[in-house]
Amino acid sequence: MAISLKENLFNGLSDLWSRKIRSLVTIIGIVLGTMSIIVVLSLMNGINKKTMQWMMERGGLSKITVRKNWSYDNPKNAKTYFTWKEIRLIQSLIPEAKYFNPEIRKWLRLSYQKKYFHSSIFGVVPDFSKIEEWDVESGRFISEFDINQSNDVIVIGTKTKEELFGNKNPIGELITVRNRRLKVIGVMAHRFMKNSGAIGNENALSYLNRRNFVPISTMINKGTGEDIIGSFAVKSQNIETAPELREKLEAIIFNLRHREPVFKIESAQEEAKEMAKNQRMFQIIFFVVSIISLLVGGIVIANIMLASIQERTREIGIRITVGARRRDIFIQFLVQTILVTMLGGILGIVVGLSILDFVSNYLEMELVAGLNVILIALFVSAGVGFFAGIIPAVLASKLNPVEALRYE
Amino acid sequence: MTKIIEVQNLKKEYKMGKIIVPALNGVDIKIQLGEFVGIMGPSGSGKSTLMHILGCLDTATDGNYTLNSQNVSKLKKNKLSSIRNKQIGFVFQTFNLLPHLNIQKNVELPLMYGGYTAKARAKKAIKVLLEVGLGDRLKHKPSELSGGQRQRVAIARAIVNNPAIILADEPTGNLDTNSGNDILSIFSDLNDKGHTVIIVTHDPAVAKRANRIIKIVDGLIQNGNIS
Repeated sequence: MAISLKENLFNGLSDLWSRKIRSLVTIIGIVLGTMSIIVVLSLMNGINKKTMQWMMERGGLSKITVRKNWSYDNPKNAKTYFTWKEIRLIQSLIPEAKYFNPEIRKWLRLSYQKKYFHSSIFGVVPDFSKIEEWDVESGRFISEFDINQSNDVIVIGTKTKEELFGNKNPIGELITVRNRRLKVIGVMAHRFMKNSGAIGNENALSYLNRRNFVPISTMINKGTGEDIIGSFAVKSQNIETAPELREKLEAIIFNLRHREPVFKIESAQEEAKEMAKNQRMFQIIFFVVSIISLLVGGIVIANIMLASIQERTREIGIRITVGARRRDIFIQFLVQTILVTMLGGILGIVVGLSILDFVSNYLEMELVAGLNVILIALFVSAGVGFFAGIIPAVLASKLNPVEALRYE
Repeated sequence: MTKIIEVQNLKKEYKMGKIIVPALNGVDIKIQLGEFVGIMGPSGSGKSTLMHILGCLDTATDGNYTLNSQNVSKLKKNKLSSIRNKQIGFVFQTFNLLPHLNIQKNVELPLMYGGYTAKARAKKAIKVLLEVGLGDRLKHKPSELSGGQRQRVAIARAIVNNPAIILADEPTGNLDTNSGNDILSIFSDLNDKGHTVIIVTHDPAVAKRANRIIKIVDGLIQNGNIS
């Protein structure tokens, strides 16, 4: 007795077709909602991925950094830097750390023959290259021997090389910095992040190519003569032990500065977690906004279906008169509503995916809508159709045929 | 002769707020298989109510209604749907066709709810449309047809399931005299072929065609019942 699903679908489609404009408007509502779910979820995924990629490029999740706490106003005027002696002490207190690199940063003029270039010079130790997972592309990096001897050597970034030497091989050449001649012993590998998203015209990592490195001892003993070390970085044995090491470091430094929080000790892992937490919040907000827009679409659909049933009262009366049961009428209208929202959902996915394509080209960012995102969008739009369709369908199926036939 | 319809002491009351309005006050009707019956009466006499109950679109407040040897007075709505679908063919004054379906699909409608396959539906629908002389208009929409033609589509829809009774409510009310006569001729032909035809009407022309007239006034049968 029952009418098959295929038949209901066919009838639903021809009903939609016979009311083209109304169907179109309804579908557009759902398209917009579904599209926004797809775009928002994928954008959030893309940004999450990018953040993690950046974290990995900057030394991974087992890295811990110690630098001045700028948000503390330091009423007791505690020292906001470390001396070389203190650095040695701290290093000896955390033997479990895999790598340890103190850092002095100076903004200086580098000159070679008649060319010059202003850039950052970092006083570091050999562990720097291990912590940042960043090695030279030619020559060699600073060695333990350079530190012990306070050698006049420098490792330059590719940008410095380009500015001062052009295509010439810089290894063995002498660069003048503050009247001191430093021998170029290496060039750092060029840094570039794929699919990073353009920030201005620069790549997210290109600032690193401007950096140059000298032995920290050379900087202290021969350069400025100031024993002022602003920050240092540590790498734990693995990601699991990083939080523990961070706590220990915090305690050591806290004691060293008489309980004055003049330094900030951050682990990349916790930073990443914090970022992920913030992003999740945004993700939820955006998702809720998309759901609300779909719900608005659903309410509009319910409204249109109610109006449609009013308008089709006589038709429903005729159908009941010639033998349609309540169930037949209910299914007819529910199928029609779900069809509209499913059509809208599928179109919304297609439009959403093309917008993603466009956005990801524009931002130079890899944005992929996973199958889960597509399924969420489809499921939500069908669900909205289902709930928007139920009440009108029930009302239609409960019409009294005698009154429905009289309806003008 | 076989009784196709037997109605005993049929009562119908409507509630309008707190007031109870009686529409039928104990009606007894017997109609034999193959009869052509006209039900006539002034406005407000209860003939529409009677027609709705005979057509299983409404149920009586009291009394018994036996259609084709089945007591239908106390049946549930879904069961009544099935009775309407299989036993009763409706023809209305305003045709009541679905405007967005072509006439073949309109005629197929009762068959769809009767669970026939698409193929069987098309075959039966085309056959009855040929019988009413519209075989060349299968794909036309109702709006492309004249009033008389539309009523013929409605008749085709009424007979497509081969029902026990054909129930017509003022079938000539919206038609000019010629078209009206054509439609009444079709009813006569159907009656000749053995269909039981019941027409509710004001039209005296119907009276000439019918075997018997049942007059109803103030919810009661006045004359015309045979026993």
